[in-house]
Amino acid sequence: MSENLLEVRGLSAGYGQIEVLHSLDFHVADGEIVVILGANGAGKTTTMRSVSGMIQRSGDVLFDGNRIGSARPDAVLRVGISQVPQGRGTFTDLTVEDNLRAGAYSVKGSIAADIDRWYDVFPRLAERRDQRAGSLSGGEQQMLAIARAMMNRPKLLLCDEPSLGLAPIITQNLFKILGELRDEMGMALLVVEQNAGLSLQLCDRAYVLETGHIVASGTGDELLNDDTVKQAYLGGAG
Amino acid sequence: MSLFIQRMFDGLAEGSIYALLALALVVIFRSTGQLNFAQGEIGTLCAFFASTFTLSGLPVWVAILLAMAIGFLIAAFVERVVVRPIEDRNPGAVIVALIGVFLAVNQLSAMFWGVDARSLPSLFPTNADSFFRIGDAAIRWERVGIIGVLAVVVVLLFLLFNRTKIGLAMRAVANNQESSNLVGIRVGNILILGWGLAGAIGALAAVMLAPSAGLTGTLMLGPFLYASVAAVLGGLDSPVGAVVGGLLIGLLKAFLIGYVDFLSDMLFPVMLVVLLSVLLFRPAGLFGTEKVERV
Repeated sequence: MSENLLEVRGLSAGYGQIEVLHSLDFHVADGEIVVILGANGAGKTTTMRSVSGMIQRSGDVLFDGNRIGSARPDAVLRVGISQVPQGRGTFTDLTVEDNLRAGAYSVKGSIAADIDRWYDVFPRLAERRDQRAGSLSGGEQQMLAIARAMMNRPKLLLCDEPSLGLAPIITQNLFKILGELRDEMGMALLVVEQNAGLSLQLCDRAYVLETGHIVASGTGDELLNDDTVKQAYLGGAG
Repeated sequence: MSLFIQRMFDGLAEGSIYALLALALVVIFRSTGQLNFAQGEIGTLCAFFASTFTLSGLPVWVAILLAMAIGFLIAAFVERVVVRPIEDRNPGAVIVALIGVFLAVNQLSAMFWGVDARSLPSLFPTNADSFFRIGDAAIRWERVGIIGVLAVVVVLLFLLFNRTKIGLAMRAVANNQESSNLVGIRVGNILILGWGLAGAIGALAAVMLAPSAGLTGTLMLGPFLYASVAAVLGGLDSPVGAVVGGLLIGLLKAFLIGYVDFLSDMLFPVMLVVLLSVLLFRPAGLFGTEKVERV
């Protein structure tokens, strides 16, 4: 029907009686990097959790020919969507290597080659493979969270505020790595962020989310030069 | 010296029972953060089942395996039907519900099996001459057998936790349920499995103890208290700690009874002192993890 990898139509979700997302429409094409920009409380994390099946939601979610609008997290993973949660969510008591193994929980067959591959991409993780994940620095944990998500061999990677709590230089490096992953693997990325400057440079397209509504969309460059976006997310003057 | 060796084996065998029960407590505590007050009683109920199975002519080892299977099912049922629905609404209330389960299971076994002591044959030889000697010390085979059972359980659990995908999932769920969901682990199933596993281990503790202690409704009451102290001593989130703690408590008890006459009638107060000392001076226990993390 469409060539979009992920097609979301009329997505609403919330917690209990409170609706947080009000009928969102967005899409991600194959190999595309899409950013959803929003301030605290805009509904970014809820959007991620709706796509990955972590919460109840309504609306259509189509992914690679599958209807996943009411699928559970394990089913969403199996069709090829992995999520890097906000705050990284590594298994702090498990070793780095066990974290990677856990990331491949839905994968059938041997994962040894995958583990080696992500150690190549993130040599720091290889050095620390037998250490508890909780003993890693914030930046290393973010790398581990990404590597863990990649162990599922996703076609789409969801990243929930990867820059949170990281120094700007580390965030920059992280975004560089995300861009390279897309280039090398043809994987698509959906990133939610408050950090407009870096994420808009990285992305192909972006949406602006405010109080559960999408209020603007465009290419990264368009939004970087958009006056309202400058005001709200780039510290005014721009 | 020979008396010392005998008491040591007494302590280790009794400690093995506590260790098994403490392992069951720790497996559940790690995954749900709850202390399963009904653990001992579920074990007692299973021992009654085992006694009925042996009376109907089944070999002891078959009766034990069946009792463990029943323990698995009861504990899994408790998780799914009692613990989880309450935990979603009010985590603090679970402890009260588990005390309720304790009472219910206790009364159930009295209802079906009465209050008179039953007998349960041992898996190991228990004749008057079923012992071997180390020097002058006479060591009963049953004692060694129980210690051996603990060793087998420890090895199997180690392999399960560290060498299988299910075990990895159990450790992941114990650490972070939200992230477990995100990597595709069906957390609910793993919780049921963990409780079931604990139920089976608790049943094993009871059927090991019943032949020598006599099978009544209060079989596991004392051992549950000792096992709780053992689990806290070892660290509530540490399987290794449960085993070490159980054996230490068993030895402490055997040596107090053997060598410190005036304390042998005050074992529970001594345990209270042990418990308080651990909580005051080393709250995480000997092997438990203190929660220190970088963010």
